[in-house]
Amino acid sequence: MKLKRFAGVLTGTALATMTIAQTASAAELRMSWWGGDSRHVATQKALEACGAKHGHTIKGEFTGFDGYLEKLTTQMAGGTEADIVQVNWPWLPLFSRDGTGFADLRKLPAVDLSQWSETDLNSGSTNGVLQGISVSTTGRTFFFNQTTFEKAGVPVPTNWAELEAATKTLKEKLGDDYYTFNAVKETAQLLVTLAVTQKTGKDLVDPATNRVAWTPEELAGGINFLGHLVEIGAIRSQKAEASDGNVNLFEKPAWAEGKIAGSYEWDSTYSKYADPLKDGQVLKPVPMLHIEGSVTDGVYRKPSMLLSVSKNSKNPEAAAQILNCLLNEPEGIDALGTSRGLPSSKIAAERLAGQGEPEVRAANEIVVAAAGPMISPFNEHPEIRSNFIDSLEEFAYGQISAEDAAQQIIDGTNDVLAEFD
Amino acid sequence: MRSATRRPGLEVSLARIRILLRRAAASRKGLRMKRQRFLGLAYLAPYILGLLVFTMIPFIASFYLSFTKYDLMSEPRWTGLANYEKLFTRDRTFDKSLWVTLTYVFLTVPLKLAFALFIAAILNYKLKFINFFRTAFYVPSILGGSIAIAVLWRYMFASEGLVNMALAMVGINPVDWFGDPGNALFTITLLRCWQFGSAMVIFLAALQSIDKSLYEAAAIDGASKTRVFFSITLPLLTPVIFFNLIMQMVQAFQEFNGPYIITQGGPLKSTYLLPLYIYDEAFKKFNMGYASAIAWVLFGIIMVLTLVAFWSSKKWVYYAGDKRS
Repeated sequence: MKLKRFAGVLTGTALATMTIAQTASAAELRMSWWGGDSRHVATQKALEACGAKHGHTIKGEFTGFDGYLEKLTTQMAGGTEADIVQVNWPWLPLFSRDGTGFADLRKLPAVDLSQWSETDLNSGSTNGVLQGISVSTTGRTFFFNQTTFEKAGVPVPTNWAELEAATKTLKEKLGDDYYTFNAVKETAQLLVTLAVTQKTGKDLVDPATNRVAWTPEELAGGINFLGHLVEIGAIRSQKAEASDGNVNLFEKPAWAEGKIAGSYEWDSTYSKYADPLKDGQVLKPVPMLHIEGSVTDGVYRKPSMLLSVSKNSKNPEAAAQILNCLLNEPEGIDALGTSRGLPSSKIAAERLAGQGEPEVRAANEIVVAAAGPMISPFNEHPEIRSNFIDSLEEFAYGQISAEDAAQQIIDGTNDVLAEFD
Repeated sequence: MRSATRRPGLEVSLARIRILLRRAAASRKGLRMKRQRFLGLAYLAPYILGLLVFTMIPFIASFYLSFTKYDLMSEPRWTGLANYEKLFTRDRTFDKSLWVTLTYVFLTVPLKLAFALFIAAILNYKLKFINFFRTAFYVPSILGGSIAIAVLWRYMFASEGLVNMALAMVGINPVDWFGDPGNALFTITLLRCWQFGSAMVIFLAALQSIDKSLYEAAAIDGASKTRVFFSITLPLLTPVIFFNLIMQMVQAFQEFNGPYIITQGGPLKSTYLLPLYIYDEAFKKFNMGYASAIAWVLFGIIMVLTLVAFWSSKKWVYYAGDKRS
């Protein structure tokens, strides 16, 4: 009897110990990211699936892109960032100049790094330390509202001359409040960048000298190109945009109704722009439009967002397990789908082959196939970008000439670049 | 008679007991006072702690940081007066932002105070449903600072928004509220003025506390309503006007939500108030040292203007019992 009771107690203790051990390994994690609704939904599903698989609980912290950098900066400064952090590739030098900003992913065996090419791993490294893993390759591409062009009886443009002609027809047939294109703030900056890159074959920053590669005349040409598109009514003016409170394109009623019929956006954001369109309208990714005399496609292509593990995480191993699940394991891959573009991970790319929205795939194929110089992360440095956009605004309001704006941009950019010498 | 029969030894003992009782009472009182003092400190502790952690330490730290180059990610590097030198000699954005901020404050504060006083004077009358109206006018101040209201404001004043639609109905051409640099600051000012409720409530309380006999005396003397307002109401309200002036001025200098959500400081930086500039430098450009220097200059401006207001108050603020005529 005594022996029986002893055995019972022993079994109970063993079971309790096992339960406690199981609980101890279950971590409570946080993951932060930016994105649109479709990405939020997909990521939450993926976190649920991966959490259930590995026995962890992951709380999602998500916002739109606006304000994410500020939020992350504050968290990084206070050491309170989430365990898994989505980081924009150009921000890597800001948060981890010497490779100590995030956990070294090579020291976390749970992440199967063999799924990425050496180029991908290098792009996520600073000072030789792997700080973030590339989720996908992304680039700016053209989206046009096919329905609007069909309504006006013109084909979707394949070059800028066709876009000019289509603008005229659209306005005549559908009304003056119809625009063939959109370029505000960052998009305006990248459109000018595209025009200059196509013409010169050079990126903004010359990696050899760490200074602006363009001459003031070349840049002024790009600014005038933007000015011309506004002048012919292809793009709404900066003033008109400000009058409406600088609302995001995908939130504008004019976009939803097809009255703004095109834009130049990240390939992975196709759903963000296609979802708000009113029923029956089709958004189509289009190969790079060229300006006259272009020497390259001038594609603005870069590693997409990275996923990093916080160096302050109490459970870096658990965070690494979830990161690996999101990018390399069926549960994560299936749930995420193409919400962050077509994945860089080989196993994920294989699993999703032929899946996902054909438009996202088509947009990504355009970006991957297009040619262009290697772009510098400094294109998106907050100070350089702010100087660029402010100068374009002054030009748009007629405060300065294209030449002065070009000089202002070059001087401001060189000042920032000099700090990184 | 009984005391005469008391024995001397007993009287001594009674006196000792009385002394002991008194001492015990005094000691209990002291203990109670000590306890009360401790209780008082305990009540104050959360506030003092909050003040230290969230105000005093950042306040002192920002003063130190204003003399450094600090990008949030690496250690601050001492640069002496370099930030202030740049601020006052080479920074065109600061000049512009300072000018916009001063314009905003000098527009907003008088407008808001005048409007708050006007509404408070109306709400001081005995009207039907007066409590409903008082609540209705106060509600915007509760909602006013929120992001949602700023977003609503953006839609209302958009080129095809509610305000322009209303103007069109009465035959007035639409106004470019946000796109025109000359109008954008005024539109932001309107949002601030709309939040007049807190100043209004204080004015209303002050109006209700004015002795009615003064009005009765003025009525007997045949004073007109305008004369009564300027000779009785306004002078007696000056302490409250002064209080509201200081509070509203400090708040106006710190305005952030409205321009951040609605105009992002544009167009052409026409609504780029100093708090926005501080925010951009600190959290978008990672120049925390420089941002701290701007914050301290802003603090200095608020301090100087507050001192000027206090100094001038001797000439125009009348307190009860004041001998000035």
